[in-house]
This record gives sequence, structure tokens and C-alpha cells, in this order.
Amino acid sequence: MSKLWRIACHEYRRNVFKRSFIIALLSVPLMIALNVGVGSIMASREVNNAPVGYVDHSSLLAEPVPAPVTASSKPMALIPFETEAAARTALEAGKIQAYYVVAAHYFSTRDVDLFYIEPPGTNATRQFYDFVQINLLAGRPSIGADVAHRAALLGDKVTVRSVDGSRHVPSGGPTFGTIMPLLISFAFLFLLLINSGYMMQAVVDEKENRTMEVVLTSASSTQFIGGRVLGIVAISFTQLAVWVLTSILAIAVAHRLGIDWFQDLSLDWGTVLATAALAIPTYVTACALMAAAGATVTSAQESQAAGTPFAVLHLAPLYLAWAIVMTPNALLPTILSFLPFTALSTVSLRNIFAAVPYWQVAASIAIQMLCAVGAIWLASRAFRLGMLRYGQRLRLRDLLRARSQ
Amino acid sequence: MQAVSVTHVAKTFGTTDAIVDVSFDAGRGEIFGLLGPNGAGKTTTIRIVLDIFKPDHGQVSVLGGPMTEQKKARIGYMPEERGLYQDIPLERCLLYLASLKGVPDAEAHRRLQEHLERFDLAAHKGKKVRELSKGMQQKAQIINTILHHPELIVVDEPFAALDPVNTQLVKDLMCELRKRGVTILMSTHQMHQVEELCDRILLIDGGRDVLYGDLDQVRRQYSGRAVLVRATGEVPAVPGATRVLTNPDPSAKAGNGAVKLALSEGATPQSVLWSLMSQGVAIEKFEIAVPTLDEIFIQVVAPLLPGRDPQSATPARHASGGQNPQSQIGNA
Repeated sequence: MSKLWRIACHEYRRNVFKRSFIIALLSVPLMIALNVGVGSIMASREVNNAPVGYVDHSSLLAEPVPAPVTASSKPMALIPFETEAAARTALEAGKIQAYYVVAAHYFSTRDVDLFYIEPPGTNATRQFYDFVQINLLAGRPSIGADVAHRAALLGDKVTVRSVDGSRHVPSGGPTFGTIMPLLISFAFLFLLLINSGYMMQAVVDEKENRTMEVVLTSASSTQFIGGRVLGIVAISFTQLAVWVLTSILAIAVAHRLGIDWFQDLSLDWGTVLATAALAIPTYVTACALMAAAGATVTSAQESQAAGTPFAVLHLAPLYLAWAIVMTPNALLPTILSFLPFTALSTVSLRNIFAAVPYWQVAASIAIQMLCAVGAIWLASRAFRLGMLRYGQRLRLRDLLRARSQ
Repeated sequence: MQAVSVTHVAKTFGTTDAIVDVSFDAGRGEIFGLLGPNGAGKTTTIRIVLDIFKPDHGQVSVLGGPMTEQKKARIGYMPEERGLYQDIPLERCLLYLASLKGVPDAEAHRRLQEHLERFDLAAHKGKKVRELSKGMQQKAQIINTILHHPELIVVDEPFAALDPVNTQLVKDLMCELRKRGVTILMSTHQMHQVEELCDRILLIDGGRDVLYGDLDQVRRQYSGRAVLVRATGEVPAVPGATRVLTNPDPSAKAGNGAVKLALSEGATPQSVLWSLMSQGVAIEKFEIAVPTLDEIFIQVVAPLLPGRDPQSATPARHASGGQNPQSQIGNA
């Protein structure tokens, strides 16, 4: 086994079997499980599939078009009653969970009364709302019942596109599949914030306890720093693997439980791959810069402070999320899509609400790759210049000017 | 062939001259002492020898040529203090570092067990390094330095934190290694250890070599200005000689009450002996006092300290030759 791999394995074992790492590793799946569990419990408490009655005094629902069927909700029986008294009897008998009374002057006032003993399920009120809407649509002469029937059958499988084709949103809002690239980029950023910290800490620790000197009399600085990066990457993949497996399990559970958001799991693989292509060089850049920072500072405490600006830069697009969402292809989001720290989150965010031009994605990937190469160069230089300056901080000016030691 | 050859090496960090001009050779199978006051440039010299730093000027040859990655497996290095991973068990730490030196796993296990037994650390091999005492960590570092059977060992203050028993253990080990032909480059402030172990020395001060050569010859070079006298009665005052009252010579103590007489300008050991005999003193012992390395160190380094008259530095530099070490006393 080469020294590079030995150093990588050592780095991996040294971190992965630590109690703090295991706790951090398991905390994310536990958090996901907790969220899914609480979410499904809350959702199940709000769902009631018992029939709903209605009394129509306006003739809006005289020849009713059935309510649209969505992937997530089971079709619910909507029972017409001739009189309010009959509906009330059915309610009191527990045959229906609630009933609506559509006022005679509905077309002018839009008055609808709801009667219940216990508050009805949110699915019941939503379905009756859809039912009324589709029948209003059917009543319009310009549209007609045929179109309304087709719309009802399509349910929420409708994508709304802007005329110029630059924006498209499913009628039910972004699906899980649509939002997946953003989740991937968040996962990478989360990994990056955790593991690039390891990178910095590892370099500072070795500098502080002099093991760096001992290792450098056994291996080259390239093997040392390369092994370290590989070790950190392996740690990251371990985390990612555990998180992905847990997420798949959680998604499967959520899908089976019928939670709305997890029903459409289709992915846009092009976007997913583009996100991964952006994430990898971003990750390398961050790790290399953290290593460089670790080599330039004098203590572990100082390294924590040095890492903060990187974290802020990576999270910057989230602070500007509103501007990005509202105008995904404006100048600011476009610029942020090219900058090394903001590109990953910005492009992922824009992809949800707009078609990001291919050339921008390609250019951003190329820029991130160049940044990764530059960051590695800077890190190796900082490492060489700053690694043995005990108690002395290496300034950027020294880094760019000084000759190699 | 020399194990280490350093020729006119210089190194600057920013505006600080860490080393101005240092040259020395360390032969195969010798223990070479690298001495000097704090901040003299010893550690920087060591790091340049080990190729951790590149020199600005000068040349370094290690085991017959420039340092290569392959040669690193033939070198053992023990920095001053620490140098081990604190948060992992001792055994794992030492096996990992041995693996980087290319020792096969099974062989590393076997050798490590032997050394742990010898250094009385076997019972502690499962403990994290940071849980060990300072002395234990020092012993562990020594094991790490020799586990891969290096041809050249570079050690920085190897006796720091060791009790007398373990100090003797390490000294015995160093003598054993020398017998096997291993070269040891040792940096230390403990002059009595240097006297006991080293074959040759280099004294660095202010980034320059100020004293270099065979230890015995260096001491002889600085001898002749004092004599040790033991008589049956009190040693009387002698013209041209002054009794040394402060800083008593350890060898005088060992000589059952011998007194040390420093010779004045123009006085010789012969004139002092003649004077004593002419006074009828019953002399039991009369010998030329050889200075201790401590005395030589102070004599050479003290005049160079800040605040001293620079002129007073001249005799020390003259005494050591003061120019190219290759032409100095006792060059091997």
C-alpha cells in the first residue's frame, strides 16, 4: 500500500471511529426520521376519508363533474342531499363527516356554509374546494364540461409554463423530484461545512503536536496533503452513504404513508448530474482552502475562526434566496451562479423555478474546476510555507510572494 | 563516506537570518553533537538536513547524496517534545508511523513488542498517547525513531523528561546503535551527556558554526590554562596562578580534594610546578586541567551574547579555528 493510501486510511480511521463522528453521523438520519415521523403523524391526524355531503341550492352542482383526483389523495365520496335536514340527519348518524350548503345566490355572493360536529379533515375541505372549482370551470361557456372533465382527470399532473419557456412549475408546486438537486446541494454543503472543518483541524493539530515533522520525514508533503484529502473524501462518502440510505428508507416510508410531497419521485437526471458536477469541484475547493487556512494559522482555536468566512460565503445564496426565486434569470442570480462559493446553491435554487441556460451551467462547472485546481495549488503552497511556522501566522502576502521553503 | 555533509548552508525567514553559514560532516557510526544556545539555529539546521526546509544557499548531502523519498525510510527523527498522535492508542500510533517507513506489518508488530518490553511500555500500549506521562511519551518517541532500523538518527533533546534510569537506558541504546554503525546526530543542551556520548561536536551560535571537531581535541584545545594540584597539605599561593574558587571543576572533586589553579598570562604549568616544588609542597597529583564542555560552551558563547563586547568574541572564534570547519581541529 502506498504512503498516500496509508495516510488516507489513517485519517479515515482516526475520525470515523470517534464517538463525536458517530453521533454526528447518526444525528442526521435521526433528524430525518423524526421529521418524517412527526410529519406523517400530523398528516394522518388531519386526514379524514369519511364521505362529505352537500346541499346545492344554486344548481351549480346539478350535473356535477367529479372532483379532480390527485396522486396523493384518495377520492372521497361527495354525497348530494336534497335538503339540509337530510344532510343534518346523515351527519348526526355519523354517515358523513360534514356537509356544505351552497347558497341559492352563490353565483353573486360565493356563499357556502360548512356544518360539522368535529372539524373535517383537511383533505375533505380541499376536495370540496376542488369540486366546486371544477364545476365553476365546467359552467363557463368558453370552456365547457368536456374540458372540465379532462382537467379533473389530469388532477395535479399539470405543468404551468411561461410563454417564453423559461419558467415551469407543476400545478401542485415543486415536487420532490424537482427539488432533489437543491437537496443534493444542501447535503454537499452540509458535508462540506462539517468535513472541511476536519481538514483544517487535522492540519492544525499536526502542526501543533509536531507529528507533521515526523510524518514529513517519512512521506512527501504531496503524499501528506493528498492522503489527508482522500481520507476526508472517504469520510464524506461514508456520511453520504449513510444519509442516502436513510433518506431512501425515509422517502419509501413517506411514499407509502401517502404524504403528498413524496408521491412524485421522478427525477430530472440532467439537473441531478449537473448539480453533482458542480458539487464535486466546489467540495474540493473548500477542502483545499480549509487545508490552506489550517496551514496558515497558529492554533486550533484560531482555525475555527478562520473557517467562519467560508461558511458564510457558502450560505450566502440562502440569504438571497428570495431574490433568486423571484427573478431566477436576473443579473444577480446569474453572477452568483459563477462565483466559487455561491454557484452550487444558486444554480440548484434557480433550477427549481427556471430553465437555467446550459451555457451558464457549463461555464459555472468550468469555473469551479479551475477554482479547485487553484485552491489545491494555494493549499500546497500554504502548507509548504506555513506548516512549520510555530506561533507565526502566514499572511496572504507571504503566500503569494515568498519562494518555496 | 559521510552520513551527513552540510556545506555553507544559509536560511532566512523573512527578515530573520535563521542560519548564516553552517558546515559540518557527520561520519558513519559516530554520535555527533549539535550544540548551541537557544535560537542558535540548531533546529533549523536539523530541518534542512531532513529536507523539511530547503536552504537558501549551500549544499546538504545525506547518506551519500541529496535527500530522496527512498532515503527517508533509512532515517529516524525525533523532534523535541511531542511528535506522536495524542488521540489514538500508543500501539496503533507507532505501527502507523512504522508503516510509513515501509516496515511490513508483521515485522513492525514483532519489533514493537520487543521495544515496548525493553522500555517498560508494554502494559501501556492500549492507552491513548495523551494519557501517558511525559517520560513515557519520550520513550515512545525514541521507539518510533529506531523501530525501522535507520542508518541515520536525528534526535532533538533525547533525554528531556527522562529519569536517571531511563536516561541510562537511552544512553546504552545509543552506544549500541553506534556499535552497529548507525550515525546519530544529537541536538542537546545537556553538556555532560555530550561529553559522555559524542565523538564529535559542532557548536552553532547566531546561525554560524563557532566550534567544530573531535570532542577530545576540542577539550585539549581549550586546556593548558589551568592545572589540577593535590598535595598532602594545603596548596600554597603560587606566583602566576590563581585558585579557582567559583564554578568548581567536577573532576577536581573527583580527585579527592585537588584544587584548580588558573594560569596567568606568561605562566606555564612547568613554572607553577617548579614554584610548588621550590616551596617544598608534597605533591600527590599534578595535571593539566581539561575543561568541561560546559566551560568551553560558556567560554565560546558568552562573549557572543548581546550586550557583550564583540571584541571579546574573537578569542573563542580563534580558538576554534573560526573559518571553514573543514580546516578545523579534529576534522574526521
